[in-house]
Amino acid sequence: MNDINTDVLRSCSHWILFVSSIAILPPVCLTLIRKTKARLQSRIGPPLLQPFYDLIKLCRKSETVSSTMSGMFRLASVAGLATIILLAWLTPWLSYKPWSPSADLFLIIYLFALARVFSLLGALDSGSAFGAFGASREVTLGLLVEPALMLGLVALGLFCGSSDLRMIFSYPQTIGGGAAAGAGAAGIWLLVGIAILLASLIELSRMPVDDPTTHLELTMVHEAMVLEASGRNLALIEFAHALRMSIFFGLSAQCFVHALASVCRINTLTQGILSVVGIFGIAIFVGVLESLAVKLQWRKVPEFVAYVVSMSLLAAFVAAGNGGIKL
Amino acid sequence: MISGINLCVLCAAVLACLMVGSLHLRLNLFLYGVETLFIAGATVLTANAHGDASLICIAILIGTLKALGVPFFLLRTSEKLNVHRDVGAMITPPLAMHLSIVLFALSFVLTRNIPTPQLVVNGWYGAAAGISLLFTGLVVMLTRRLAIGQILGFLVIENGIYVFALTQTLGMPMLVEMGILLDMLVGVMVCGVLVFKIQKSFEHIDVALLTNLKE
Repeated sequence: MNDINTDVLRSCSHWILFVSSIAILPPVCLTLIRKTKARLQSRIGPPLLQPFYDLIKLCRKSETVSSTMSGMFRLASVAGLATIILLAWLTPWLSYKPWSPSADLFLIIYLFALARVFSLLGALDSGSAFGAFGASREVTLGLLVEPALMLGLVALGLFCGSSDLRMIFSYPQTIGGGAAAGAGAAGIWLLVGIAILLASLIELSRMPVDDPTTHLELTMVHEAMVLEASGRNLALIEFAHALRMSIFFGLSAQCFVHALASVCRINTLTQGILSVVGIFGIAIFVGVLESLAVKLQWRKVPEFVAYVVSMSLLAAFVAAGNGGIKL
Repeated sequence: MISGINLCVLCAAVLACLMVGSLHLRLNLFLYGVETLFIAGATVLTANAHGDASLICIAILIGTLKALGVPFFLLRTSEKLNVHRDVGAMITPPLAMHLSIVLFALSFVLTRNIPTPQLVVNGWYGAAAGISLLFTGLVVMLTRRLAIGQILGFLVIENGIYVFALTQTLGMPMLVEMGILLDMLVGVMVCGVLVFKIQKSFEHIDVALLTNLKE
């Protein structure tokens, strides 16, 4: 009886921890990026909870809706957020999860694509020219980054002998993984981690590809798509974007944690803490990168994507050479 | 488990592959410098493993002359000539980078059966890194049109030969190593001066247009 009580308590605390991470981590990530950029420009920067205040402010504001819009516009932002929350539940982006369902890597990639389709529909439905601009660029970026991301995840799948992300990301704990896995395994995790990190910069239209703080509509990607949204609608879209960002950062951080786990032994608690610290670390890294890098010319973006593909390709070759093919 | 020496040379090979992906001369030269520093590190580790003090001397020479001196000299040359970006030839840089990564994987297959001296442990990785550097240098030379890019490709090939020799043998005589290093240094200097002359006479350093020299 006592055992069952402890189990219930434990799973309850896991649920609370997980749901609060979904609510808290994305805005904190955004603040960390902004704060890092501000610090590097000798400004104080926004307070830690500024994105929360922004969301609350947006929820209170009234909405302006263009006369050409259909119901799709509002539906798109709700459906987009719902897809991202589903992804947050399916993707192993945090070490602590109350119940991890099995999720195929192709399912994850195409759910991300589905979320993108919803944001595209919203942007196109607004009827503004800038929305269509942004949508066109977003599709281009999506087309470029999808094979790169898929190749990276498939390399992991090849190495671990499964296309199930849950199996892949619990690999170091099971046989064949762990501290005995050695440098080859660490190399694969590291390469895929870098590939996902670089891919997330493209996927989330951040700095080397697009400047998220630009005021020039002609070069915007994500911002051009949400130009017509206001009030609660904008709050939903902004939160979905931030959550998508933390899922990507979390997935990349998980890869780095696994790289560490394959050369030295770390326990579950450390892994949980490392997964959150990793997300924050990546957010700070992105902040530094955004302060130092200049925006690439649009025509040069494929060259940047090529580096992501190279990382994934290397990981795939290392996985194949490491005797990973045992399907 | 991969030893430190192998890790260093493999990192150098991967950096060389990444170098192919960009046409910016400054980035290329920076990556070449880092790659050569890794090779110098591998030399230090080899010296440690074999107990050969002369290798340390060579590592210092490589670190100062090849990893710092040559890139700075070429950077200054390119700044004087006012060229910052190669034009690119034959294959676009992203594809060339992927090609060199495929060749990196291929070099592992090629070197699988190379016989090594009994005392060399795990020589396979080093041999593969050396052959891969050779291939990468070749790809660099094929995909660059400016003379500085050609020099860079040649230097990567030279690195590959050095890595192969370092990892497959129990150490070359120091005199031979120094001779090679000196040759390479003089070669780069001469090339730098030649590039100036070519620029002066033809107002460009595009090697594809050098066929105009024919009568």
